[in-house]
Amino acid sequence: MKKMNSIFIVDDDPITVFGIQKMLKASVACENILAFHNGKLAIDQLRQDIENSIPLPEVIFLDINMPIMDGWEFLEEFLKLPIEDKIIINVITSSIDPSDYHKWNEFRLKCFHYLNFKNKPIFKIETTDLSRINLAS
Amino acid sequence: MKSTQTDLNNSILHQLPFATALVDSSFNLIDVSHTWYQLFQATPDVNNPKQVFKFFEGHEGCTPELLEQYLIGNDIRTIRHKVSSKEGISWLESTFAPWFDDDKNIQGTIIQTIDIGRQTQKDIELEQTKELFQATTEINNIGSWEYNIETEKLSWCKMTKQIHEVPEDYEPNVSEAIEFYKQGYSRNKISMLFHKILQEGASFNERLQIVTQKGEEKWVAAGGKAIKKEGKTLKIFGTFQDINQQVIAEKRTKESERLLTTLIDNLPINVFIKDKDSRKILVNKAECNYLDTSPNELIGKTDFDLYDNDIAKTSRDEDLEVMRSLTPMLGEETINARKDGSITHFLTSKIPLLDLDGKAYGLIGMSMDITNLKQKEEQLRNLINVTAIQNKKLINFAHIVSHNLRSHSANFSMLLDFLIKEKEPEEKERILGMLSSASDNLLDTLENLNEVVDISTNVNLDKKSVNLNKSIERVQQNLSAFLEKNKVQITNTIDDSLQVKSVPAYLESIILNLMTNAVKYRHPMRVPEITLEASKEPKGIAFSITDNGLGIDLDRYGDKIFGMYKTFHNNKDARGLGLYIIKNQIEAMDGYITVDSSINKGSVFKVFFYEENE
Repeated sequence: MKKMNSIFIVDDDPITVFGIQKMLKASVACENILAFHNGKLAIDQLRQDIENSIPLPEVIFLDINMPIMDGWEFLEEFLKLPIEDKIIINVITSSIDPSDYHKWNEFRLKCFHYLNFKNKPIFKIETTDLSRINLAS
Repeated sequence: MKSTQTDLNNSILHQLPFATALVDSSFNLIDVSHTWYQLFQATPDVNNPKQVFKFFEGHEGCTPELLEQYLIGNDIRTIRHKVSSKEGISWLESTFAPWFDDDKNIQGTIIQTIDIGRQTQKDIELEQTKELFQATTEINNIGSWEYNIETEKLSWCKMTKQIHEVPEDYEPNVSEAIEFYKQGYSRNKISMLFHKILQEGASFNERLQIVTQKGEEKWVAAGGKAIKKEGKTLKIFGTFQDINQQVIAEKRTKESERLLTTLIDNLPINVFIKDKDSRKILVNKAECNYLDTSPNELIGKTDFDLYDNDIAKTSRDEDLEVMRSLTPMLGEETINARKDGSITHFLTSKIPLLDLDGKAYGLIGMSMDITNLKQKEEQLRNLINVTAIQNKKLINFAHIVSHNLRSHSANFSMLLDFLIKEKEPEEKERILGMLSSASDNLLDTLENLNEVVDISTNVNLDKKSVNLNKSIERVQQNLSAFLEKNKVQITNTIDDSLQVKSVPAYLESIILNLMTNAVKYRHPMRVPEITLEASKEPKGIAFSITDNGLGIDLDRYGDKIFGMYKTFHNNKDARGLGLYIIKNQIEAMDGYITVDSSINKGSVFKVFFYEENE
């Protein structure tokens, strides 16, 4: 089973968080799976980790509709952070609004990290959700 | 020999009663009668013979060339010449006759001159008048007639006969002549006029109709004048003129003029003609009706007399531009305000009027009242705006619905998928618990959506005049436990008599939501203070609720604050629905809500209630 150091789940819906956690357990060995209720909490954690030189998560699951700071605002802030490693960000949404997809694509093109787009419901974690190294090389 | 002859004739010539001169073939005067000298106003000087030309010098109608021709001619010729002197003008008539000797050789010329004085001038005048009369007669188709009372003879000239279309040898009498006039008015009239001129000598000149010999109807001008001698009428002289074409043309002009006037007057468009200085020189009925006055009142006036300065100036500028550029202004939308302030929208055209040199001497203006059209257009535009807003709301709502319902159904699918694969009873139990809460969430969402749909579909709102303070009191009572627990201080400056036009239930919902928000998002370090105020605005009542709470970062959330499921603070109770619902309620009542806020200081929500009841 694939081993990972840390994974973030940023979503205000406890059921989705539960679901992702459950699916991750089946496909990856990871001790630190952290859940955040909105983008602000997650970005604050990331800033703190960078300051304290704590290794950053390899994968982030990111919901779009959240209070305080939504997924897009989180991405704006995230891209400003001084991160050298490429992180896989799985944007998850129940929205079928094409504008959300376009927005994701814009971010994907200007982003140094790997960006995936996943529509709810999710039944399975794909390998590409967790790893892109093989494909990249 | 010559001199002997001269001497011989001298005495006779001198004494001739008619002015006579004898001229030799070299044009020298040989002998002259005294009378001749008198006529030519010269003195005799026999020793110094003169050339005959000398005497005719300065005479009008007699050049030296002409004179020479006459002097050497073989026949008798006469010439009339005019002499102007200090005493006045006199006319002379000289006759030139060749002078033969016994052998029929021309010796010279005998000139005899008579003074024809003023008679000649009269003759000429008469001749001229005759010529003029004839010319006029021919040009104007004027004929004449004459009636001799004594002989009862009526005579017509050639032209009169032509007009009657009778042969040249036709001899009319009075009753026949009268028969030519068209039965009815014309014949009656001429009979009466003829009778009157016979009896009283009253002249006449009348336009009447005749029927010619060939049966053609014609308009004629018949005139008559009595010629009297010593108070007694001897003759009647009259004129007779064919004026048919003239009358028909006049009639036609009048008809087309009337047609034009009728047309212009009854056009449902304001028509006016202005001169170079923009003074009205013609206005039609519609223009008069628009200005509620008569044409006489409008003629000669400019727009400055009729409208306010600004409007008149705009119009004058248009006039000047049209007359300067000679380019018509076509179908321009213009706005006009009468002195009483009423506004009219016009579709105006101004066309320059050009004289024969191609210069503008004024303009024709046409204005069509399109006020109704404009109003309809405005209504339509409003309707489109409303529809556009509604449409936007609908799309927004559709997204909300799709997103919210989809997120729940996605959760169901995912959890059910887990449940099917799960083998451990404990975990199964956990998933079932999750499913049950997902189901509750879905019900909640549906309820929320229902509430929103209710507001949006409630088109026939029953707005009433509601006392604002009583509504506030009711809300405070309902919230009393909540307010007391949070030690909220409320200041209310609203007048007890103030009424707002509102749906009562919506008003309470609005107050409740704003008040609970003010407490929910209070500043942790401060006692919550709420100030309620209201003020009368021109079109309604503005109600404001001010708090000293956390405030909202409007730069960041300004466009989302009234959105559905948008929350901005870490608050467990936040549903992100309250402001969305009250915004819908307020807009359903034609009002609006605004927010002003600064972080850590507080927020002001202002609700505007529209006063007019539709």
